[in-house]
Amino acid sequence: MIKLEEKDLKILRGISTGAGIFTLIVAITMLLSIVQLKALDPLDNPAIVSVKEEFDKDHENAVKAEQVRALDLMSRKAYFSSRRQVETGSYLLLAGAVIFIICQRLIADSEKNLPSVPGEKTDQSTENIRYAKYLAGTVAVVTVAAIVSSFILRNELPDLSGKSIARAEKKKDKKEKTKGLESVDIDNFSPDPTNFPFFRGQDGRGIAGGTGYPVEWNAENGTNIKWKTTVPKNGKSSPVIWGDKLIVTGAEGNDCEVYCLDKNTGEILWAAPASGLPGQPDVPPDTDHDTGIAAPTAATDGNSVCAIFANGNLVCLDMDGKLKWGKNIGTPANIYGYSCSVILHDGHLIVQFDSDEKVSMMGFDTATGELKWETLRRGRSTWASPSVATFNGTTQVLINGNPEVAAFDPATGKELWAIEVLSGDVAPSLAINSKFVYAVTDYARLAALKPGPGPSIVWEDNMFTSDVSSPVATEHYLFISTGVGDVACYDAIRGDTLWTHYFMDQFYASPIIADEKVFLLDRSGLMHIVNAGPEYNLIAESPIGEPSDCTPAFSDKNIYIRGRNSIFCISQN
Amino acid sequence: MLAWHAVLFAQERFPRPEFESGYVYPEHQMPADRAPVWEYIDLAVLIGALSLAAWLALKVRSRQGLLWLSVFSLAYFGFFREGCICSVGSVQNVALALFNKGYSIPLTALLFFMIPLIFALLFGRVFCAGVCPLGAIQELVTFRTVKLPRVVESVMISVPFIYLGISVLSAATESQFLICRYDPFVGIFRLDAPYTMVIFGGLLLIAGIFINRPYCRYLCPYGVLLNIFSRFSNKHLTITPAECINCRLCEDVCPYDAILPSDVGRPVVDPEKERKRFLTYIILVPFFAAAGAIIFGTLSPVFTGLNSDVRLAREIRAEAESGIPAVSLAALGFKEAGTTEAELFEKEIQTHERFRKGSVWMGLFLGISFGLSLVSLSTRTRRTGYVPHKGKCYSCGKCFQYCPVKLNKISNDKA
Repeated sequence: MIKLEEKDLKILRGISTGAGIFTLIVAITMLLSIVQLKALDPLDNPAIVSVKEEFDKDHENAVKAEQVRALDLMSRKAYFSSRRQVETGSYLLLAGAVIFIICQRLIADSEKNLPSVPGEKTDQSTENIRYAKYLAGTVAVVTVAAIVSSFILRNELPDLSGKSIARAEKKKDKKEKTKGLESVDIDNFSPDPTNFPFFRGQDGRGIAGGTGYPVEWNAENGTNIKWKTTVPKNGKSSPVIWGDKLIVTGAEGNDCEVYCLDKNTGEILWAAPASGLPGQPDVPPDTDHDTGIAAPTAATDGNSVCAIFANGNLVCLDMDGKLKWGKNIGTPANIYGYSCSVILHDGHLIVQFDSDEKVSMMGFDTATGELKWETLRRGRSTWASPSVATFNGTTQVLINGNPEVAAFDPATGKELWAIEVLSGDVAPSLAINSKFVYAVTDYARLAALKPGPGPSIVWEDNMFTSDVSSPVATEHYLFISTGVGDVACYDAIRGDTLWTHYFMDQFYASPIIADEKVFLLDRSGLMHIVNAGPEYNLIAESPIGEPSDCTPAFSDKNIYIRGRNSIFCISQN
Repeated sequence: MLAWHAVLFAQERFPRPEFESGYVYPEHQMPADRAPVWEYIDLAVLIGALSLAAWLALKVRSRQGLLWLSVFSLAYFGFFREGCICSVGSVQNVALALFNKGYSIPLTALLFFMIPLIFALLFGRVFCAGVCPLGAIQELVTFRTVKLPRVVESVMISVPFIYLGISVLSAATESQFLICRYDPFVGIFRLDAPYTMVIFGGLLLIAGIFINRPYCRYLCPYGVLLNIFSRFSNKHLTITPAECINCRLCEDVCPYDAILPSDVGRPVVDPEKERKRFLTYIILVPFFAAAGAIIFGTLSPVFTGLNSDVRLAREIRAEAESGIPAVSLAALGFKEAGTTEAELFEKEIQTHERFRKGSVWMGLFLGISFGLSLVSLSTRTRRTGYVPHKGKCYSCGKCFQYCPVKLNKISNDKA
């Protein structure tokens, strides 16, 4: 043992105190760094997000591209530097702790620990009896705890007599047998082969009815192009179809119009004005170039055609283009421009009104235009559109809000359920199947939600998130196309990524599933057609020859695509 | 906390940068396996360290020497070999090998299990004294010892028995290696562990500043076996180098309460009463064993939760019965593998049966251990000096400095 003088001990105490404080500071610093690192996503840096958004609006801008690269690199470097600091800190912590312990040991060893003077010796038997009591008490407590926990847990344990397994099998068989019937109870979704009435088709779910759609065409040489018609006024709204009529909208400034084309010939049957309504602003609102005034898609139910524009003009026409009613419901103040499409349900025109000043759901009587209900929502404005689905026997209008995904009664506007899911700029609409609702937006996450009262997030992922394009789901698979050109297929129930493919070009149009194929239209106007299955299988890639951000419509074996200038009808010759 | 940074490196937290220049990402590099020669080196180091520990504890009686040996063992078996292979964990390999014909235990694992036990049989728990890295890291951080009340000691001493029972049951049923999974210090040795385990290890070390070797005393399952083997040790560390003078200076100095007092000068109670108590406990041992077997046999379905197949079966059954989607990775793997539910449920039943049998044996072991502990507490001893409790003593040598009896060398006497 080292003999230490008082002055040595003083030095040791000083070193020990220093090492102890140093260790504590390093430990606290590391703790804070680790908490910060855990919460930090270098690519979520507001500066990067802002520059990326600017770059997304102008992809040709090389300066912005270079800025994105530089900021991305800087942010990643900063992140890994922080991690190296934590690594270095751990060694400093170890060194500090070792010095502290060595000093303390030396100090403790130099202190004379005199043995205590024991009292009277107890007799051996008394001591042993006391130990035996402690031991028996411990064993008794363990035994009681074991018995109680076995009784508590027993109810959760399976009956291994075979009855339980047989019961499960029986229940499963019954479920299989009544699957068709049950699906009617849960969700009566069955897409029509002819009518494609809303943005993303029937109920706004991105699934088209019918079969036999063409997969190969070429607008440049005319292959499988049945007709091509130029629409008088521009618009990013997508075509909708009822019977033989195809409806689109267009606008130049405040001059808004609704067009009806013969879906078999491409002839413009009528063009109905949707301007000059009371309350219409003198100057159209500022919108992003990619959005414009006519971004919301019209809706039709065979009796009415309803359309809304970014200046707040809302019109309802009959199928011959005659105005039934029209009004301006207030100009939505919106940074990119209003883009929420309308839908019709049981005599109600449902409007998702998303403005910086107010976010609400509105229900208008399609016959009279009377506002039947309005439900204010919480949160910020979005650019997504409503969908319709039936869960647990309740038909509901669902919206992808910020931050809440919510469902409303289409007849009364009553909020049925809501759950906070997303943040940021929410533009993609929801994907829906009979079990789950899927919400996504870029720089946030993709989440599968269990709908209904007491909703919950079943699974989530953040590898593939879209910024504009909406996801689409079958019962088994979820497909998502992103703003950078990735397409991903997820297991709809479990959330595992089944396949991904990079298509080089961005996707703004929403994918549509038809005839067990996924139709993915990129911004250049090239349609990528893949199997709607768990393995990537490219069927064809067919161009329309001009850029497009509009979601295609499907009807009676024909595909209708609105390009930047024209509408194309694609039909198998 | 030392290991937290390593955990951060273990996962890809955000997308990789996208390169348009055709840059190809380098492939992940996996470290190569260690050369087999290291297994023999490990064995040689183990035997060498055990021999040195025995020599230092029994012959040289050097507490300092044992501490330096602890430093070496911590450095070699702890940080250099990263806590693996380890005698404590080898209990599970042996259990797995004993109850599963398909598993062939590596010779190194078997020897790491047996050699410290052989040394315990010969020289007491010299493995704990300075060879076990788990014990060493705790021994080295202790500098302000606080002696716990004997009631705490008496209560907590049963925990390692239960932990050993459950660990062996878990390994024997091919469920999981609990001891390795919940090793509190291996994360520190490897700089890689779940946060919870690093925090647990850190808390144990902080507690270890005041409470000597908390893991060894209140958790270590291998310590139970060493305790049993050491009781029959041929030679064992002694407190005094010569004859005990009954000065009582060492009576309260052992932090592990492992010094048995001399019976010289102790009041004697009625021997007839003691004899009756002894006989009663002897008779009760089979009853304790039977009670343990019944209680733990009844608890076997609870223990089956340790088995991944059983957990998977429960998840699949919940999906079938209640419609709760089975979303775990195991459930997904099961569905993709093409195994039928009937096969899974059949396997679940077989696992339950194995657990039922194993739990009965575990209950028997615990019941007998309890009964024999009571019996040992009712035996009359005739000690004429202070001696270490052969089972509980870690051979750490802390008591050496309190014994006033010193052995002078003959050469000095002659001089």
